[in-house]
Amino acid sequence: VTVVTAEDLPAGVPPIPCRIPAHGDVTPFLQAPLAKEIIRYVGEPVAVVVAQTRALAEDAAEVVEIDWQPLEQVANVAAALTPNATEIHAAGNVATSWSINLGNVDEAFASAAVTIEHKFSTSRQTGLPLETRGLLAAYDAPRRQLEVHGPTKIPHTNRRMLSAMLKLPEGNIRFVEPDVGGSFGVRGEFYPEDFLIPWLAIRLRKPVRWIEDRFEHFSAINHSRQSELEVRAAADAKGNLTAFELRLTSDMGAYMRTHGDVVPSYIAAGFPGPYRVRNYRAQARSVLTNKSPTGTIRSPGTFEANFARERVIDMLASKLGIDAAEFRRRNLIRAHEMPWHVGTTGGGHPTTYDSGDFLAIFERALTEFDWDTQSEPLAGTLVAGRGISVSVEPSALGIFESARVEVDLGGHVRVVAGCTSQGQGQETSLAQVAAEVLTVPADRITVVHGDTGQIQFGGGTNASRSAVMAGNAVYAAATEVRKKAIRTAAQKLECAENDLTLRDGRVEIVGAPGSGLTLGETARLVAPGDHQLLISPGNTIIPDNDGLTATSDIRGVPSGTSVFAVHLAEVVIDRDTGQIQVKRILVACDVGRAINPMIVEGQLIGGVVQGLGFALLEEIGYDDQGQLQTATLADYLVPGAYDAPVVKAVLIEQARSPSNPLGVKGVGEVGPTGVGAAIGNAVANALRLQGGIDTLPLTPERIVAAAS
Amino acid sequence: MKPAPFKYFAPQNLDQAIELLTADDQARPLAGGQSLVPMMNFRLARPSALVDLNRIPELSSIREVDGALHIGSMTRQAALLASPLVRRLAPLVTDAIAFVGHPPTRARGTIGGSLANADPAAELPVVALALDAEFAVRGVGGDRVIHAGDFFKGMFETAIGHGELLTEIRIVPRLPRAGHAFLEFARRYGDFAIVSVAVNLRLENSDRCESSRIVLGGVGPVPVRCETVEEQLQGRVLNETTIDAGCGAIHADNIELESRGASRQYRLHLARVLLKRALQQARHFAKMNLQ
Repeated sequence: VTVVTAEDLPAGVPPIPCRIPAHGDVTPFLQAPLAKEIIRYVGEPVAVVVAQTRALAEDAAEVVEIDWQPLEQVANVAAALTPNATEIHAAGNVATSWSINLGNVDEAFASAAVTIEHKFSTSRQTGLPLETRGLLAAYDAPRRQLEVHGPTKIPHTNRRMLSAMLKLPEGNIRFVEPDVGGSFGVRGEFYPEDFLIPWLAIRLRKPVRWIEDRFEHFSAINHSRQSELEVRAAADAKGNLTAFELRLTSDMGAYMRTHGDVVPSYIAAGFPGPYRVRNYRAQARSVLTNKSPTGTIRSPGTFEANFARERVIDMLASKLGIDAAEFRRRNLIRAHEMPWHVGTTGGGHPTTYDSGDFLAIFERALTEFDWDTQSEPLAGTLVAGRGISVSVEPSALGIFESARVEVDLGGHVRVVAGCTSQGQGQETSLAQVAAEVLTVPADRITVVHGDTGQIQFGGGTNASRSAVMAGNAVYAAATEVRKKAIRTAAQKLECAENDLTLRDGRVEIVGAPGSGLTLGETARLVAPGDHQLLISPGNTIIPDNDGLTATSDIRGVPSGTSVFAVHLAEVVIDRDTGQIQVKRILVACDVGRAINPMIVEGQLIGGVVQGLGFALLEEIGYDDQGQLQTATLADYLVPGAYDAPVVKAVLIEQARSPSNPLGVKGVGEVGPTGVGAAIGNAVANALRLQGGIDTLPLTPERIVAAAS
Repeated sequence: MKPAPFKYFAPQNLDQAIELLTADDQARPLAGGQSLVPMMNFRLARPSALVDLNRIPELSSIREVDGALHIGSMTRQAALLASPLVRRLAPLVTDAIAFVGHPPTRARGTIGGSLANADPAAELPVVALALDAEFAVRGVGGDRVIHAGDFFKGMFETAIGHGELLTEIRIVPRLPRAGHAFLEFARRYGDFAIVSVAVNLRLENSDRCESSRIVLGGVGPVPVRCETVEEQLQGRVLNETTIDAGCGAIHADNIELESRGASRQYRLHLARVLLKRALQQARHFAKMNLQ
């Protein structure tokens, strides 16, 4: 049994860095791998116990004695912002603050026919992957090789961070992603354990395994969403939306982690949504509290912004006496106005909508839902209502992705991608991309991902990016392999490249099926030791040759791709108990181009169900002392199969994204993004209320309070 | 997620089990394990030993004895739910079991385990009190019977003494014109109730309420019998007015528990809403139940 504390850490080990541009310097607020002297949240690592079995380690952890001295707690943003508040860090309780000022907001409000002012809040939630975090690290000392199994999101990025913290070159570290079902933004970021476990493996010269239990998971994994949004909106008498104003306060927890302030940054940047509004002002603050630190979860920031904005849109429409659908029709950005620059930046990315006919998608969604047909009247204490959300979800963010396509001497194709998979089906969709280019069946292609030992560079899987980024990187590499195959075969067959084509996995003479060479035969012509072609026989040194293989990377577009989405929901509420039953819910979006429609549909349906958890059930609670109160799955409620209604996903391939050759848009986070907004509007509609429905999740108690 | 070290015994009969429990006051009997085992994994429960009752066949039975229903304490919840005998003699039990957990937990969970665990949000203690059930327990000194009103002592606390085991639950015969209802409100299907209500009443031939037992769950450390409501309904024809008056008689003092997302005020509100629906259902069943 070994126990280590902060005293044992290597001298000068830096804190865990922030990997995304923030609105200011977050260095004073970063977290060290182990707390020293001051503990800032329940769940902060203080000591590590290593033993031969988990049971023994838990026995040992019970006898670790910590000399605690209670400090004043700052359990919420109100307490953190009081003038004489206890300072959580020497640099204070406000990590970053910034503002946005577009157009002329004051003039718009002064000349408005109607205005709305309302405060909304979204509760603390998390991503809750089915598998908790886990790491297995082993160090081969003579070979100076550290192998780490467990990271699932951005292994190349995490490797770079670990390399810097351990002062061990990246080439001596291999990160391997295990097969897991879900990340949802939280699983696979760099946490204290991502330093501690590999470091202990080196220190102890023994493999070290760590798997957190659910209790630990709830207290230690990134939380998200906890924000207060004070919103003002203005419209003219004709129902034209003229201005938005937002005052945003986000509860970041006790430290700034790898995501920095990107969640509030997305809330503020994306707040105007799909509306043609040029007057927009925002003031935002990311505030520290004595709670678990935060990061992104699926639809980060957009879920919160969509809820507040779409509720306000309904309020404005109601005040003007205009139908909620009609009001949106009047104000959606028009197809001829694309690309639309909102004028903001979120997480360093400009908020730009690259393409799409929002109005056409909106009308299609209403038709698919049968929006204009009245629902059956209900008896007793039951009331029904419907709600709309329109939103734009950014996707495919990040500066690059890398992929390699290899054809071996037997003609088998292997795709190695820099992304990871947490169950999104990249093995299938990336194989499809390569299959189409190389004209071989997708089931003959092996896809490898999430392994830094297999490919030098990788962006990872986050921000709804794999189909776009890895998809196009694979497309680029496969296209390169195709060209190389044709060039090689042209030399062998002594014909022009234009006379050749690839068909059924053969480089064939156009119009002569079965002629030419198979891909395997072509690969043998350029294989080391056997290459007869492309390299003149006189050369003994052949630089940069790895056979019929190509490694390509693609540059990301700074603003990514953007997906316009419509969510429509119908609910039935028992006014007496506050129970909300979701009768049906629809999501419609412009996916640009679906590589695999079944995968896209599955992503959307799963996302909507997760969004229902965010809208109705999920809430991490802390008491006034900063004690976590929801540390089990009996307290933090997520929807299960019993709770899932019928979800209709309408995939529309309308406007191919101009940002990438395949024209795809990322849909991973479209599912949840408008669910809180659509459900909130449906509940308000059912209860014939405007105020009152302003806090997510919409718990039965909140509904009863609003209805009475 | 690993329990503190403990000893494990698997006795073959009741006497051995009682002997083991008597010898060690930190030992705990293991029934279905659906609550105790997770508590041990969290190290919130740390018994010195587990005395596994799953190999004692005499504890699993459902019998009719002179019109009364006798249920062995190790009878699985799934067996109760499927039993035509239980449905005939104590339909309130059948109705409530449908709300207890999910099929996999009911396949392991037992009636005795749930009652002896005495979780304030559990369904079966509420039903046992509404049916005025008798709890047969056995210790080294022999058998004794505890009435439902005396059984639940506090949160996770019962009148079962050191070295004693709950062996059987006995439910008195059901009478003509008796009506029942069990309703609960939970955030999701299968969760422990925020509030549950059990009604067990009997109507006179004139449709007046001859007697009733009305019990709330999830509102206090133990199931709460609403005697003020029972008195309010006694001798009255159950109609909109008398039912509303009865529901209004649930006193705010009856509601002691609160939690995140379910304040005392909301629980009181829910108790009244559920009781109203339960009384309407029980009245309907009583009128149908002529035997």
